[in-house]
Amino acid sequence: MTISGPALLFLVLGLGLVGWLTGRARARAFATSQGRQALHSLPSYHGWYVALWAIVPPLVFLAVWTALSPGLVTEAVLSTPAAQGLPADGFSRSAILGEARSIALGQLDAGFNPQAQAFVAPYREAMAHYSMLGAVAALLLLFAGWAFGYTRLKANFRARTRVERVVMALLLIASLIAILTTIGIVLSLVFESARFFGMVSPIAFLTGTNWNPSSGNVDPDLFGAIPLFWGTILIGAIIAMLVAIPLGLMSAIYLTQYAHSNVRAWMKPILEILAGVPTVVYGYFAALTVAPALRDFAVMIGIPQASSESAMAAGIVMGVMIIPFVSSMADDSINAVPQSMRDGSLAMGSTKSETIKQVILPAALPGVVGGVLLAVSRAIGETMIVVMAAGLSANMTANPFASVTTVTAQIVKLLTGDQEFDSAKTLAAFALGLVLFIVTLLLNIVALRVVKKYREAYE
Amino acid sequence: MNNEPASDRFVDPTPTDWNSAEMQARIRKRYASERRFKFLGLTAVVASAAFLAFLLLVMLGNGIGGFSQTRIALPIDFETAPIGLDPDLIRSGSGEAALAGADFRGLVDYAATEAYGPGADAWFSGGAWEIVRARIAADPDILLGKATFDLPAASDIDVANKGDGGAVSERAVADLERRGVISKSFNSAFLTGGDATDPALAGIWGALKGSLLTMAVTLALAFPIGVLASLYLEEYAPQNRWTDIIEVSINNLAAVPSIIFGLLALAVFINFFGMPTSSPLVGGLTLALMTMPVIVIAGRNAIKSVPPSIRDAALGVGASRVQVVFHHVLPLALPGILTGTIIGMARALGETAPLLLIGMRAFIADPPAGLSDAATVLPMQIFLWSDEVDKGFVEKTSAAIIVLLVVLLTMNALAVYFRNRFEKRW
Amino acid sequence: MSTDTSDAVSATGSPNAKMTARDVSVFYGDKQAINSVSIDVDRDNVTAFIGPSGCGKSTFLRTLNRMNDTIPSARVEGEIKLDGEDIYASAMDVVQLRARVGMVFQKPNPFPKSIYDNVAYGPKIHGLADNKGEMDTIVERSLKRAGLWEEVKDRLTDSGTALSGGQQQRLCIARAIAVDPEVILMDEPCSALDPIATAKIEELIHELRGRYAIVIVTHNMQQAARVSQRTAFFHLGTLVEYGLTTDIFTNPRETRTKDYITGRYG
Repeated sequence: MTISGPALLFLVLGLGLVGWLTGRARARAFATSQGRQALHSLPSYHGWYVALWAIVPPLVFLAVWTALSPGLVTEAVLSTPAAQGLPADGFSRSAILGEARSIALGQLDAGFNPQAQAFVAPYREAMAHYSMLGAVAALLLLFAGWAFGYTRLKANFRARTRVERVVMALLLIASLIAILTTIGIVLSLVFESARFFGMVSPIAFLTGTNWNPSSGNVDPDLFGAIPLFWGTILIGAIIAMLVAIPLGLMSAIYLTQYAHSNVRAWMKPILEILAGVPTVVYGYFAALTVAPALRDFAVMIGIPQASSESAMAAGIVMGVMIIPFVSSMADDSINAVPQSMRDGSLAMGSTKSETIKQVILPAALPGVVGGVLLAVSRAIGETMIVVMAAGLSANMTANPFASVTTVTAQIVKLLTGDQEFDSAKTLAAFALGLVLFIVTLLLNIVALRVVKKYREAYE
Repeated sequence: MNNEPASDRFVDPTPTDWNSAEMQARIRKRYASERRFKFLGLTAVVASAAFLAFLLLVMLGNGIGGFSQTRIALPIDFETAPIGLDPDLIRSGSGEAALAGADFRGLVDYAATEAYGPGADAWFSGGAWEIVRARIAADPDILLGKATFDLPAASDIDVANKGDGGAVSERAVADLERRGVISKSFNSAFLTGGDATDPALAGIWGALKGSLLTMAVTLALAFPIGVLASLYLEEYAPQNRWTDIIEVSINNLAAVPSIIFGLLALAVFINFFGMPTSSPLVGGLTLALMTMPVIVIAGRNAIKSVPPSIRDAALGVGASRVQVVFHHVLPLALPGILTGTIIGMARALGETAPLLLIGMRAFIADPPAGLSDAATVLPMQIFLWSDEVDKGFVEKTSAAIIVLLVVLLTMNALAVYFRNRFEKRW
Repeated sequence: MSTDTSDAVSATGSPNAKMTARDVSVFYGDKQAINSVSIDVDRDNVTAFIGPSGCGKSTFLRTLNRMNDTIPSARVEGEIKLDGEDIYASAMDVVQLRARVGMVFQKPNPFPKSIYDNVAYGPKIHGLADNKGEMDTIVERSLKRAGLWEEVKDRLTDSGTALSGGQQQRLCIARAIAVDPEVILMDEPCSALDPIATAKIEELIHELRGRYAIVIVTHNMQQAARVSQRTAFFHLGTLVEYGLTTDIFTNPRETRTKDYITGRYG
């Protein structure tokens, strides 16, 4: 007999509920025998205390078990005599095993691979064995926990304090996950980059102008990332911003200063849709519609090297994506300029546009600059648009109609398709990731500081 | 204050003549510049909106065809057809094996050539035979006579029928139209099928299910963790270094490029913990790490807006701090938290880059059955199809984009609804 | 003190009127803030608007240079004339109007620019100076007239926001003077200032009197008595009483005025 994962989970939770009921019943019994006043905590807290003891240990165990057991199952299958006949190469081997596993789980009716059939029975057997083992262990833990919790209850037992302590611990753990994630990012990037820099010197990486990594080759001359940095800057910090800053800023000005409130109520959410469209859609749009049109245009006016994948196409579309971002940051900054300043200018007989250009914008400038920095940080970290529309050839060119590549596009290129995890080529992706992480982090920190200072100035 | 002689202080040029021609010209110029500036602003808004409209129209124009499918009626005369099956055999115990062994592909090719002449076998989709097989398996008696099957056309015929094909295909379509056997119908297979190499058969259900499973994992992790973390930070966290570090981490995580999360997932979940690549489990975990900061930030704002008087009132009647938060603060902040959660989930649903790195770009013909099966997600399916050279995939890609955008817009509308419906002003 | 020696001054019909308002009502959406106010603003005198807060005196002040236009829901009825020209007529240009009728606000609101640029801003947008030399003259003259020159002449490039509150307010007055207006409206110009800075502003108002028609809204009755020659008392959006400042404060005709002045309410 096997117990499926969800069924076991429900069983554990169900028994937890039983534990809750028993705990509460016991507390109520105390209340009737020794009087309401004798009870320190409400009976339901006693229930929670018992329930927590009953379900937390088995749930932790099951989480660990689910992670471990597939490995154990595969090992058990490989130790059967049938495993001798498996092909040596990893790919067909795992294909056969995977198929056998699917058949055993009932996801597949019959295998395409005749060899797979032989492993179905061992798989079924091993899986049944381990899932049974796991279930029994979980239930044992559950009963042990329940018994422990239940026996500790007495009338003056401070169940609420204990339960609340668990709740507090839970809250703390939840907020520590953010730190863990940050540490995880930093450690994984730093470790893998360190291995890469063991093969290719950081100086060659950061200053070389030739980018052409290939598997099994650690020639530092092939790992010069300058063309990537240039492509990233050209697309994310130049072309995209040339589109996003004027459009975003002018939209914000028009919507906050000129537009009727009805128009504003409609146009703001419509512009925000631009930020909600998935990047893969922008990428497809850029590659399908914008890039060919731009190439034809470039060919028409005689620009050399015009390519159907171009910095221009990716940059323009990325700029459009960033418009709502710039416009909402500008909106906030403009609104933070005190009304009295606006009145002061209008009262001298300046027109609205003179007030905006000469008083409001200079006053809002730090906020706008902060917003633009955040927008740049977002643009250079954007991946799908450049992967789909900018191309993968590492060109050092200022021609916006030529194909260039970016840091993010190269990370994707290096880490998809055939890869060996230890090759310099693969590890280079982590070094690129580290550079990207540091740059975006710095941009964000500076931008947030600028914006914060600006807000304080008008508070 | 006034040590200068009064005469100096009151010497004045002639008063400004506001009605002089010079002044009037200046005013006109200033108003012209005002109008130009306003027009520029309007242009920016209109240009942005026009771009959005253009994008949506292009997707709609390209994609609408993806929801319909060209079908060709194919008569098969089983008395002459080379299939070697009979109803009794299929109903017998070895029926499945017999069906598995029979050459249905050959049968369709044969029947197509018989009916529409040489070369017509290429008019049918490479997967058309599966429909024939399914119908025979369901009703073996049709093997005794003639039957007509409405089969999906090959991709180039489909494209030609929708008005964009090559010359050969256009001729074939014209021929079929003369015979009156070609038809166009709603492509239910697109919504219920998995990926396929033949665009006529490709569907998005596999990717959609992958997305659903991935999102389930993301929601199950990011929502509770996000809510608990925001409660901790707003209600309990002491003012100290640790709290600062947590806050800085969360704010930075919200701004880290998504692809960095992909690198993290690849290095930690897949290479270190050995979790299954391409699985919704790892995909969901990765997106949960990305979504959590969004929920925490939204959650903190929502909790902050609950007035302190409510906390004081609850503490005043003797509630513990945990009770105050879970009985009073959390319920009042929940609408705001839900709004943030929906927005975060919508972003996660449209995310592609980090999932590329954990191998969710695989070709997945069968919808994933569990959290550890190889799967792909809807945006990834769009990415994969966008790379296909076959013209039939253009409309499929756009059609998948339409589905994705509809889902996302619905989610965002829901978030706006939540915000407007439940937002309390204190 | 007064240039007008007649015993009683009526709200309307002054031969010396710079601005005249007739039956002016102001609405914010459906709410009426000012109800049919008729008043003349004298050319050579300082006119004070007093009244309890919310009585509409600031709102009325803002109709005199159409600053109410910046509030979308505000609507003005009636007729306001500047030297006989209807300022709400379509032929009247609001930009020019505001250059002719300057305004100083409750809270000092210098632009986040240098002291020089703050004063030069108005002349620059209106094209009152042809070259740098002329602009320097205008800036110096305005700052002198506002009594700020001696304090800032060595640091004209410092930010206007770096000055003290009283200096900032005098800078705002200099800024208003720089476009050479005919009327200056002051909306509680001293309410955010300390007594010494207030005294300086009041002295300044004295000096400016005669060159500009000045209207000052104030909360502070002593201030009204000190700086003005004409006083209008507003209550609940209506003009209750108007007259010589000395009359209003010593011998008010209306009981409401009397009650307010003696501190019964407000």
